[in-house]
Parts: sequence; C-alpha cells; structure tokens
Amino acid sequence: MGLVTPVGNNLGETWQSLLKARSGVEPISLFDASGFSVRIAAEVKGDTYLSNTGHKRLSKAATRSHLFALAAAEEAIQDTGIRPNAANGHRWGCSVGTGMVSVDFPELEALQREAAPAGELNTDLLLSSSIASDPIAFCRSQSAQGLSLLVERYAIKGYTTSVHTACASGGQAVGTGLKLIRRGDCDYVLAGGFDSMISPLGLAGFCLLNAVSTDNHNPHTASRPFDASRNGFVLGEGAGFLVLEEWEAAVKRGARIYAELAGEGNSLSSYRITDSHPSGDGPIQAMQQALQSAGIFPEQVDYLNAHGTSTPMNDRSEAAAAHVVFGSHIKDLRVSSTKSTMGHLIAAAGAVEAAICALTIHHGKVPINANLTQRDPDCNLNFICDKAKDQAVRVAMSNSLGFGGSNSCLVFREPGAS
Amino acid sequence: MQTAARVVITGLGAICASGKQPEQILDSLLDGTISIAEIGGWDGENWPCRLGGVVGFSPRELINDRKLLKLIKKTDVVGIYAAEQALNSAGISAYRESLTSPADDSFAERFGLYVGTSGGYYDTQYDFLPLISEANGSMQAIGERLGESVNPMWLLGNLPNNVVCHVGIRNKLKGANACITNHGTSGSLSIIEAFESLRIGDTDRAIAIGHDAPVEPQVVLYYQKAGLLADAHLTPFDADRSGCILGEGGAALVLETLEAAESRSAPIHAEILGKGCTSEAQGLLPVRVDGDGVARAICLALEQAGLETQQIGMIVCHGNGTRTSDLSEGVAIRRVFGTQIPPITCFKWAFGHLLAAAGSIDTVLALTALQRGIVPAIVPLRNIDPSLQDLPIAKVAREPISDTALILSRGFGGQNSALIIRATSR
Repeated sequence: MGLVTPVGNNLGETWQSLLKARSGVEPISLFDASGFSVRIAAEVKGDTYLSNTGHKRLSKAATRSHLFALAAAEEAIQDTGIRPNAANGHRWGCSVGTGMVSVDFPELEALQREAAPAGELNTDLLLSSSIASDPIAFCRSQSAQGLSLLVERYAIKGYTTSVHTACASGGQAVGTGLKLIRRGDCDYVLAGGFDSMISPLGLAGFCLLNAVSTDNHNPHTASRPFDASRNGFVLGEGAGFLVLEEWEAAVKRGARIYAELAGEGNSLSSYRITDSHPSGDGPIQAMQQALQSAGIFPEQVDYLNAHGTSTPMNDRSEAAAAHVVFGSHIKDLRVSSTKSTMGHLIAAAGAVEAAICALTIHHGKVPINANLTQRDPDCNLNFICDKAKDQAVRVAMSNSLGFGGSNSCLVFREPGAS
Repeated sequence: MQTAARVVITGLGAICASGKQPEQILDSLLDGTISIAEIGGWDGENWPCRLGGVVGFSPRELINDRKLLKLIKKTDVVGIYAAEQALNSAGISAYRESLTSPADDSFAERFGLYVGTSGGYYDTQYDFLPLISEANGSMQAIGERLGESVNPMWLLGNLPNNVVCHVGIRNKLKGANACITNHGTSGSLSIIEAFESLRIGDTDRAIAIGHDAPVEPQVVLYYQKAGLLADAHLTPFDADRSGCILGEGGAALVLETLEAAESRSAPIHAEILGKGCTSEAQGLLPVRVDGDGVARAICLALEQAGLETQQIGMIVCHGNGTRTSDLSEGVAIRRVFGTQIPPITCFKWAFGHLLAAAGSIDTVLALTALQRGIVPAIVPLRNIDPSLQDLPIAKVAREPISDTALILSRGFGGQNSALIIRATSR
C-alpha cells in the first residue's frame, strides 16, 4: 500500500499521524484564499513524495493530483515486492478513482488574458493562445491521463479503467479491483484514487454550495464528523493505492498480507444530488451487499471507518444506516471518521480509507474520531475518542458516499480468517 | 461455484447527429448520409478545423423538465435522453406498474446503472472567466466576488456522474453503479461492467449508458494540434484518410439476466457473449502499430464467449480515421482471424467520434444492423489502404456471415476493448 495524504507523505507517516490525531488542516498556502469564505484546507505538506514520482518525462505531464498518484503507487508497488513484468503484465489491471477534470488555475488565468480579455471567450484569440497550443497541457487535462501515466510506468497491460463517482470514486475503484480478480480478468490490480481540489475553482465550487466548514480561526477542529456543532467538511487532497493480489498466488509467494479485501457493495441513493435519505436508505444497501459479498455477519464487524464528512446531512444519514445494518451490535461496533484528522480527499478518500482499514487489521490499532466534543444525539454510535485504541480488528468496513448518490462499501478481513 | 447468468439486451436507445433513434440512425447510415457538418457553435471562419457531428435538437425537445435542464450540460441531456429511450423500449416502466411496493423496491435495488462519460472538458471552467477578468490579477477579489459572478450550483452542474444520479432519481433505480471516465473505451466498459454485474448476480437488470459532447472550441483545437483531426471528412481505412472528427451523442442498452427478461416476457434483442479489455501501456496518445492491444482484447472476448473466429459474422471496428489506429486495427484483425475474416465495417464516418459514447452507439447500431441482416457500407471509403487491401472492409453493404458481431473500441492510454454479441432471431 502507498499513501500521500495531508498528514503524511507516505504510509508510515500517515498512520502515525492518524494514531496521534495530528490534524492536517491549516490555513490554505497553495494560493491566496483571503477573499474566500473558507480559507482552510488539509494540504499535502512538503514535497518529499516527489522523490517517488519517477522519470521527468512522466512528471512533466502530470498535474498535482497525478504526482500524488505516481508517488503513492510507487510506494505501493515497492511495498508489495513484485511488479509487472513481460511474462505477467497482461494479468495486471489498474483501476483508479479520478477527480473532476480541471486545468491548473494559472493556466485558466493565462487563457483569460490571451483569449478572453473581456471575460467572454474569443475563439479567434483562442487559436493563438499559448495554453491551447500546448500539447502537454492537453495531455494533463485528459481524464485518462492519471491512469495512462500509471500503466505506462509499470507496463500494466490488462484491464485498465478510470472511474468517477465524486466522493465515492476511490472506494469504487478498489471495489472494481476486487471484482476484476474475482471474475478472473486479472491476477493483480493496482487500485486507488487521487485528487486535489484545493485550487481556486475547487474551493469555489464547494464554497458556493456552503458544503465546507468556515471555521477559519480553528482549523484543527474544523473537521468534526458526528459532532453536534459540525458545519461542513474540510477539503483535503492526496492519493492512496493498494496492490490487490489473488489470495492463493499471494500466499504461495509468501507475500506480506495486510488484510483480505473480502467484499464490496455498491448502491445508488436516488434521493438528492448532495444527500442520502435521512433514514440511511442507499448507504444501507451498499453496506448490506458488502457484508453479503464477504460472507460476513454484521456482528463480526469490529471497526467502521465511516465516510463521516462532517456535514450535517451526511453524518446523520450514515449513522442511521449503521443502526439499520448493525442492529443491536451497534453498541459494540467501534466507529471513527479519519476525515476528522486529514480532511476529505474527495476522489482519493475511499482508497486512502481502504488502506487505513487494512492497517487497523494489520496493527491491531484503531484511529480516533477527532474533535468529537458535543455528541449529536442523531449520530449515536460507539466512537473512538481521545486516544487511538489497541484493539484486535478481525473485520473492518469502509464507507464512501458520493455527491450524485453513489455509495461504495468495502469490507476487509484479517488474513487467513475466512 | 454458481454458473454465471446469461445476459441479454432488452432495450436500446441512441441519439447523435444522424438521428434520435437507433433505427433512424441506421437508416441514415444505410442511405450514406454524412451528418458531419460545419460546427455552428462559434465563428470558425479562421479555424483550421470546422467540422463536427453536432446534435441539433434543443434540450427542451429531449427532456421536458425545465428545472433539471438548468442544472445539467448537453452531454447529460443526450445521456439521459438515450437512457430513457432504452428503458421505454424495454418496457421497464410499464412492467413496474404491475409491481407492488416490496417487489418494486427490490426491482429498483437490483437494477444497476453503468455510465461511460468524458469526465469533463473546458467550457464549464469558462464560467469563471468574467470573474477572473474583472478581478484583474487579484485572487482576493476572485474570492470576494465569487457569489455575485458564478452560479451557486456550478459544481453540481459539472459533476461527471450527473447521468448516474439523474437517471437514478428520475426512474427510481438504485442498484450497483459505476461512472467510467476512460475516454474512448468508457461506453464499452459501461456495457462490460453491467454485463459482469449481471453474470455474477450483483444485479438482475442494468442500464449501460454512454454519453459525450466534446465539440467545444478548446477540445477541437487540442485534437487538431495533436494531429488527430481529419482535413475534411472521416474516411476510415482509406488510403488518403487524415484523421477523426468529433461528434456528440448518447446511447444506452438495457441488459437483463435471461431469467429476469423471461420472467417479464421482455423483448430479447441479443445476448452478450464475451468481452476483453487490454492496455498497451505506452502513454496517452501512442498506439502500437502491431495491433497488440486490439488483438489481445479480441482473443479474450472470443475465449470468454467460447467462440471460434469463423463464428463471428461481422466486425464493427473503432475506425476513427487516424493513420495508425485504423492500420493497427486491421493488423490486429488479420493476426487473430488469419485469412477467414468476416465483413468489417465502422460507423464514425457518419456522425463523428462520440468518444465516451462511441462503444455504446457502436454496440446499439451493430445490433440493429444484425437484426436487419446487413453490414452497412463505409460510404466515404474510396481506396482501401494498400496495406489493408486483403481485408473484407465493406465498401458496399453486405450480409453478415452469422448472427454474431464483434465490436471494438479504443481510447487514450492505449486502451482497447472487444465485445461479442449475438442477435436473437426474430
């Protein structure tokens, strides 16, 4: 597994920060956000991840989120100890959750200066503009570019796909990876997600919707999923990648197995673009299918890594769904949303949180739901607060619920327990 | 292990520059009509590339929901339109009227939605140009004046997964879903993922939708500068071909397990038999001239379908009109099929390359053509590329040699897909 997150440039750093609940939320430094209603975000700090992004030929055609992807994927490939080769490259697949297509803001500003001086696009001026003449800018802005950079770098020649279901993208990409192996299309899948919407346009989009927390003066507590005073999510960025491998093959080569990806579920809320039904309808079906697909009973689940965005509606709907799915077991199910510490990584969130679930099983520790001081009576779950807990985790579940109503749920099991 | 379910096609929908129904589009194609024309959306007088396959219908003609139309883009409009046409043709809503509440809930939860789409282009970002212009270099001013200048729903209007969302809400469908943003293979992958979800029992029914509307200035210009666009018309496999033309459109297929379709006496148009997906892993734009990725995709599809090459009745190529893509496709077909090659055709010459919807519309038209027992001619084809002259490329319309079609799609990143369908005899 490999991670680039707001709380670490790699897997180990991220995990340590999560256990200590070191918040990754700070004032925005990537651009001057002083005029925006929201001026905080969870940025990836520093640039040590850049040592993992590979040849300059690749990185010059990469956006910020592609660089996160290249670095996290490289860490995952190195961590796995095998890589695609001429004999098995066609049995490797790649499944990625990508963010919305957007160009870097300086490029949009250049386009405005050159081709839209009065604010309206002048197509004749566009013809001679520098951005519209730049083939590298074209490649960078393609929705398949992140995937293309990865499959080229590793010579992955099997089933390759990019998916985008907003905040559920990363979870769906990992779920797709599981299906590719189960149905025999691939023996190995590099699966993950990457995103960076901490840009003037990305932030603007969420500010206009009033979806992001305006706690500009208290960045560390701005993301407080399930707290009664929560007022929106905090935008994060990063990438997470997992190498999925067919069980028998992994055992045979003596691979270090973090966890078994045991099941996935996938549903559509079909309620509103931005929310699930307050009853939890939508997420309920995804969670139930994931359990069924894993052959696991609700009472076997030890830990739920909640989607927990810290928006009023999401958290209520998700808590209601958990009550329906887990019934009386809900009091024993430990829950946390790691978005409380690292913010919301949008299309990368589900993949990063999948890796976190696998780590809870591997290390026998569960990270906390930070900033939970006033419990919302509508979100009555058994949260891990104050301090990360030593706890054997046999089964962990991760939810990813997206704008547009797509819900993805993944279930992980202790290796060898099936 | 449970044997995989058989998967059938029970509903079709399509819209593009050539028409707004599969039969109508096929008629237009068989008449030899090229629906690619001067793009009217902007003044192209000084432009090196002025052709496109634009859908001429107004959004109001296609979707009667003024409130929704304010929230979605043209690509979403054609996607939703094609989807609802397919659902109607499969008789889904009529059937659901016969269901009572618990059975209908289960119907909705076992109905999947798989959509292939572009992931977004550039013109949506132009909504910020007036603000950037006015702010005159001050980022602070951009933040401060945001609310006065940009529609508060801007982000939601541009979600790549809008068609999944709105087809779901409008038709009360709630099952497994995906939104695939994988350039030219998106549409095919939407069918393939729906097919596989039905095979393993994740769903009983599913709709596979592809939609795209790439005909906008910056996209056209980028494609032209990358050497991908034709000087004049799209003439696939022609010795003088010079490239592709972009088109707009959407297409959709309703898929069901055979059991689910039979249980409601649905019209069964075809069965999906196999698929293959590969990557060539050589970067975004290059394709291998030896056709490696295409050949491997075809072999995987044949293997899953349990078919020999001589059982394929026609091949619908990607045929995008670029030098290397067409050539490598021909080379791949020759490699797999040897000397016994079924008739080869393609459709993009008539209405352009619909990118993320290409595989969807090609599959819908391949099936419609099979049902009529015809391999449509590639009408603008004059002189077959000398290096492909041994291939049975359809300069004139022919008959398929069986009821089975192989459909090929290709996309950026060296990605390829192959799909095999068998038409049900009428």
